[in-house]
Amino acid sequence: MTTTPPPAPQPPGDDRLSAWLDGELDDTARAEVDAWLRAQPEDAARARLWAADRDALRARFDPVLDEPLPPALLRTLGRPAARPRPGWRSWALAAGLLAFGIGLGAAGGVAWVAQDPAAVAGLPLPWADPARPRTGSWTHRAAVAHAVYAPEARHPVEVNVAEGDAVAQRAQQEHLARWLSKRLDLPVRLYDLRAQGFELVGGRLLPDAAGPSAQLMYQNAAGQRVTLYLRKPEPGAATAFRFQRDGELNLFYWVEDGFGCALVGKLPRPQLQALADAIYRQVEDGIVPAPAGRAPAS
Amino acid sequence: MSVPDSFRQQLLAALPRLRRYARSLAHDTATADDLAQATLERALSHWHQFDPHREMLVWLLSIAHNAFLDQRRRDARLSIVEPEQAAAQLDARRADPGADVGLRLDLQAALARLPLEQREPLLLVSVEQFSYAECAEALGIPIGTVMSRVSRARVALRAHLDGGQRPAAEPPRTLRRVI
Repeated sequence: MTTTPPPAPQPPGDDRLSAWLDGELDDTARAEVDAWLRAQPEDAARARLWAADRDALRARFDPVLDEPLPPALLRTLGRPAARPRPGWRSWALAAGLLAFGIGLGAAGGVAWVAQDPAAVAGLPLPWADPARPRTGSWTHRAAVAHAVYAPEARHPVEVNVAEGDAVAQRAQQEHLARWLSKRLDLPVRLYDLRAQGFELVGGRLLPDAAGPSAQLMYQNAAGQRVTLYLRKPEPGAATAFRFQRDGELNLFYWVEDGFGCALVGKLPRPQLQALADAIYRQVEDGIVPAPAGRAPAS
Repeated sequence: MSVPDSFRQQLLAALPRLRRYARSLAHDTATADDLAQATLERALSHWHQFDPHREMLVWLLSIAHNAFLDQRRRDARLSIVEPEQAAAQLDARRADPGADVGLRLDLQAALARLPLEQREPLLLVSVEQFSYAECAEALGIPIGTVMSRVSRARVALRAHLDGGQRPAAEPPRTLRRVI
């Protein structure tokens, strides 16, 4: 306990307040602005208005995401290459997705391409997008799962691979990878993030929309945690590497070849991206004919 | 060399957000679709300049930014759409009985009054949820400039909305007026 009173908070200028709203301040600066806003209802009201304007802008233009793509754009994108070559498996997949998207669009539904990196609504974040709770999206479930389990001190995971001696840890790792692979019907591997300073804590099985999903939890020496949410995507869903953020949580996700995952954490974006890159590379290694008997990272 | 399939797939995935950004910049559907089209064509012809480790959307919206500037220079008169007209178009396209038309009109008008140099960073950060670093990359300006322009845009947008003037009370300064 310190008896020195904390220094009186300084009023944040417009730039700083705006950057605070955009999640661009580091922890110290953010805490200073938080403290200031708690004490200054007028500035807090101003920030709230800015947040409302931001939400109004999103609400105004988000419907564009749900519109079917204009045929002219698709024709431009799909124009056959000058020298077509064999091995167009992935392009055929894209074409199939196109047809699927157009079909849905024509039916007045939500085109698959409209899987917006939705706002992570419903989490205890300041003024975080109450206008568009896309609670149906799986990335939202990934964020909620993170928010629920990451703060757990005693039971963060169902299967703990960090307890016991090396032999016990090894056994738990093998059990976890086998168990999750079987339940998810996915080649789940325990991705190795030690090069980035994160150790695997363990994992758990979770309910997803239509079946099970899994969460792997990693922690670094500073006690920061990230979680990796794994699921078998709906047929036809594919998404390139994407980022989304809302308030405190950052999220990288991608879906391909029957494999969907989202990395969630409060880490600054570049650090989280480094972790996501590492996982992405390991997933790629695993999808293209994996070497037989490749052991999970230990 | 032909455009790699993986590149096309990434483009395909980014198209809805390209269209959203184009619409937020250009207001009317036709101009926005032209912009999206021009952006896509440039992206396809410059695919070899794309670094696959970067985020596709930042690269794509950077192209859109340049294409929009070109489009504005070319069609100086046509690209200016009266805010009320644009809002009417949006309303016609999106019959949404629950929405407050008056409020949306004001938002659209207020947004249209922002200078482009403020409007673009505000839209990229607010609607596209770009980080300041990504926004700086897309627009080719320093991060500090992004920060100050976003904040000035917020102050100005709020001032316009608080002002409560009718959208047409003051024509956008880009409109030429014959005296």
